[in-house]
Amino acid sequence: MRIKHAVLTLWAALVTLPLLWAFMSSFKTDAEIFDSPWTPPAELRFDNWSRAWDQASIGQYLLNTLIVVGGALALTMLLGALTAYCLARYEFPGNRFIYYLLVAGMLFPVFLALVPLFFVVDNLGLLGTYHGLILVYAAYALPFTVFFLHGFFRSLPGAVAEAAFIDGASHAGVFFKVMLPMARPGMVSVGIFNFLGLWNQYLLPKVLNPDPDHYVLAQGLAELAVSQGYRSDWSGLFAGLVIAILPVLLAYVFFQRQIRAGLTSGALK
Amino acid sequence: MNLTRRGALLSAAAAAASTTLAACATGGGGDNEGAGKGDVSAENPLGVPADAGLEVVIFKGGYGDQYAIDAGTRLKEKHPKVAIDHKGIQGVGEVLQPRFVADSPPDVVDNSGAGRLDLATLVSAGKLKDLTELLDAPAVDDPGKKVRDTLMPGVIEDGTFDGKPLVLNYSSVLWGVWYSKSLFAKHGWTFPKTWEEMLTLNDEIKKAGLAPWTWQGKYPEYLNDPLLSMAAKAGGVEAVKAIDNLEAGAWQQPAVVAAAEAIHQLAVRGHILPGSEGLSHTEAQNAWCKGQVAFIPCGSWLEGEQQQVTPAGFDMVMATVPALTSSDKLPNGAVMAASSESFLVPAKAKNPQGGLEFLRYLFSKQVARGFAESAKALPVVTGATDGLTLTSGLGSVAEAVKAAGPNVFSYKFRTWYAPLSKAVDDATGELATKRINPQQWAERVQKAADAVAKDSSIVKHKR
Amino acid sequence: MRHGKYRFLVGALIVPLALYGVFVLSPYLQAFQLAFTNWNGVDSAPEFTGLDNFGRLWSDPLFLAGLRHNGLMLLVVPLAVIAIALALAAATKGTRVYRVVYFFPQLLSVAIIAVLWQFVYTPNSGLLNGALSAVGLDSWRRSWLAEPDLALWCVMIVLIWSSVGFYVVLFSAAMESVPEDIVEAAAIDGAGPVTVFRRITLPLIWESVQVGWIYLGIAALDGFALVQIMTVGPGGPDNSTEVMGLGLYRTAFAFGKFGYASAMGVAIFFLTLSIAVLLLRVTKRERVELA
Repeated sequence: MRIKHAVLTLWAALVTLPLLWAFMSSFKTDAEIFDSPWTPPAELRFDNWSRAWDQASIGQYLLNTLIVVGGALALTMLLGALTAYCLARYEFPGNRFIYYLLVAGMLFPVFLALVPLFFVVDNLGLLGTYHGLILVYAAYALPFTVFFLHGFFRSLPGAVAEAAFIDGASHAGVFFKVMLPMARPGMVSVGIFNFLGLWNQYLLPKVLNPDPDHYVLAQGLAELAVSQGYRSDWSGLFAGLVIAILPVLLAYVFFQRQIRAGLTSGALK
Repeated sequence: MNLTRRGALLSAAAAAASTTLAACATGGGGDNEGAGKGDVSAENPLGVPADAGLEVVIFKGGYGDQYAIDAGTRLKEKHPKVAIDHKGIQGVGEVLQPRFVADSPPDVVDNSGAGRLDLATLVSAGKLKDLTELLDAPAVDDPGKKVRDTLMPGVIEDGTFDGKPLVLNYSSVLWGVWYSKSLFAKHGWTFPKTWEEMLTLNDEIKKAGLAPWTWQGKYPEYLNDPLLSMAAKAGGVEAVKAIDNLEAGAWQQPAVVAAAEAIHQLAVRGHILPGSEGLSHTEAQNAWCKGQVAFIPCGSWLEGEQQQVTPAGFDMVMATVPALTSSDKLPNGAVMAASSESFLVPAKAKNPQGGLEFLRYLFSKQVARGFAESAKALPVVTGATDGLTLTSGLGSVAEAVKAAGPNVFSYKFRTWYAPLSKAVDDATGELATKRINPQQWAERVQKAADAVAKDSSIVKHKR
Repeated sequence: MRHGKYRFLVGALIVPLALYGVFVLSPYLQAFQLAFTNWNGVDSAPEFTGLDNFGRLWSDPLFLAGLRHNGLMLLVVPLAVIAIALALAAATKGTRVYRVVYFFPQLLSVAIIAVLWQFVYTPNSGLLNGALSAVGLDSWRRSWLAEPDLALWCVMIVLIWSSVGFYVVLFSAAMESVPEDIVEAAAIDGAGPVTVFRRITLPLIWESVQVGWIYLGIAALDGFALVQIMTVGPGGPDNSTEVMGLGLYRTAFAFGKFGYASAMGVAIFFLTLSIAVLLLRVTKRERVELA
């Protein structure tokens, strides 16, 4: 029993230490980070944070990211749920084909598609716009969402839907009023995973979002990391990293019960 | 209903996109109505249209982009109606590649930094504008002179392909070995003239409790620079040309193997800070800046890169690599040098005259002077640093330029043959960790060079 | 037959499928086409070169090195992650807070993970060497990422570290849906905890494990971002951490051979696809129904 807890604590330490260390480092000077990586800072240097915030315009990027990720997440969830539901609960010719076509989208390296994708987006006049980025994000999040929710919708009991049909509900009505609410736990789980993925998305905005005023957080961080490479501003980089991690961490802690609930009630079957 | 209609629209677009699949590479085009040319006058020698837009994309790396902003500001004084769209970015290649394919590029590009576009590819695809018109235009500071006469020797040649000047590099870069003048004064050390002396001094440095050398082990190319410099000094220009021309046995010339042996000795004699092979450039350079190590190999950008962490009174200076033997073919001051920060005007720019005009201001003395001050690097405009009080590092670089005179060399294989470049980096990393010996190093690299020479899919160049 | 089924299906599917077709499929198909050309990335008229690029793959030492390393990762990473995650999931029964904490790495982007671990492995001021010294194991200190025999394992450890949390949560969630009474009945019949786990729990959560195999298999065939940011070279020392994704990236962006890189992408795509299908077949078991 004691050994078990020692192991559990050890893993917890392995998982949290690097995070805490990054947090601590964001308050240190560069010299402190390199000379004594283990010790806490002599004084808390909040100027690292303000430097990261100003220099990398993290405030503006945070706002841009919220707009793009928020929009894309809503769109992905709606379309992903609709698609997964249709593929999971309806028999029709081509069902399996569509399903595998979608799932295959998870297997191809995205950066090969970047140049052709640029032209598609450019030809539609969507380059560098929020809604363009939202549509592309949603399209690339679709395969995982459908894959995840497909099993979820299959596992839902059919009786409730049957009853609703008998009561005269339409197909759309059954989906929105009956099945979607029942799928809520799964929706929350996949929503969180999509949020994480979209939040950290880097390659797509790099090519499709060239205007620095529209930069998302990942682009701002990359800029910080590159200039770090030239100017050796590690403390600023750590501050930027922590700023980028915090919203995600908060969202997770806030939603973690729902994630677990979503995974428990039959997802991934 | 509404949703469905939009869906239909999108799938029509998809169909359209997929029928022009192969045409993706030729896509765009067409709508490229340029701003054309305005009236040419003494005030406006390049005929910049009065109120066109001007899109400037600058690599914002070690040198920042203030100097390009300055150039824009000065251009705007002359052409108040030109709307300048300045973008300082990283990853120039990823951002601009599709725009070059689509023939809707910006008007001026600083194609530099990691992830820049391959210059040889841009040239062979005819994507760049001939800069002759700019070179023959009057200089901003002295209208009696042409722009071409205000640049350091070699700069125009560096950017000339098949007789056409297509690229102008902004900064002059030298490679050498750096040390702290104050640290050396404290211990009474002087920078060695030959590699033999270097190894002797290293033993002395070790006794003083310092590590003699470190290097940016995560990026092995940093150690290639002293190795290849010594090879060039010992073997002369012929040795360099043999390597660049992929001649049989070029990497097994005695001078080249001897240079590899010299670097190998650092490792064999324990002159390298333990762990260097796993350090990033930042970590290695910081260890050096903290006085834990005496020497570090690097290009002339080091001072600017380290300015935030360099302690006061450190006084870093760059020295040219010591002579390999007493019978080197090049004199001791000979130095590996090239120019960097490649500025170009795309052939399909919307406002090409504006792009040229921007470069005319960029290569003016005043802007170049600001570059020397803010970026701590040497601009290629002659006399730009005259009268400036140079920092110790930049001063030593300027002196090295003077001392070298005509004895300046550079290797081309790095830009010409990236796969060979990688093979050399890998081999040198192994050499510096004693996992291979100099003979094995030369064999490996020669094999890679032969493979490139045989590969018909790689375009060959000659010098 | 309920009327309007097809109208509903068409209405529901047309937007997502159009989106997917325009932004995902059509660029992918174009990339597939480029695999048969010598496109250099900016040229306007790539030349058709047939199967040339694919022929080249099998004599390209870097690609083959990548293939070998990804193969090793495929053997090691999924097995290690699933074993550790199953053990931790079983051991954390009733102690929720651990599971919340274990999920943390899942929240970080790969880039952040790679940067953090660089500081763990760096030889002179790194956390790992520091920790070894602190417990008196100075002779164990290494240049972790700079030694060809260790570097790939160091990368795999990061991959494992960052993946375990998700599967702990996944497996523990699945374990919670195993009915208590079956477990109790088995215990009364004299089955030890290991037997209960092997005979009852594992079969009942097998579908989750199977999904884990597939996700992890796909992840093991990638590893590009970690290698690119963390390793010497990157991909070194001396190509000891070369992975296929890195080779593809280098071929395209450093060597300017987009056609050849696309061929690599196509090869990786089919490889991943066959591994996923294979894993699905191999791990297939009769579904255990709890009626």
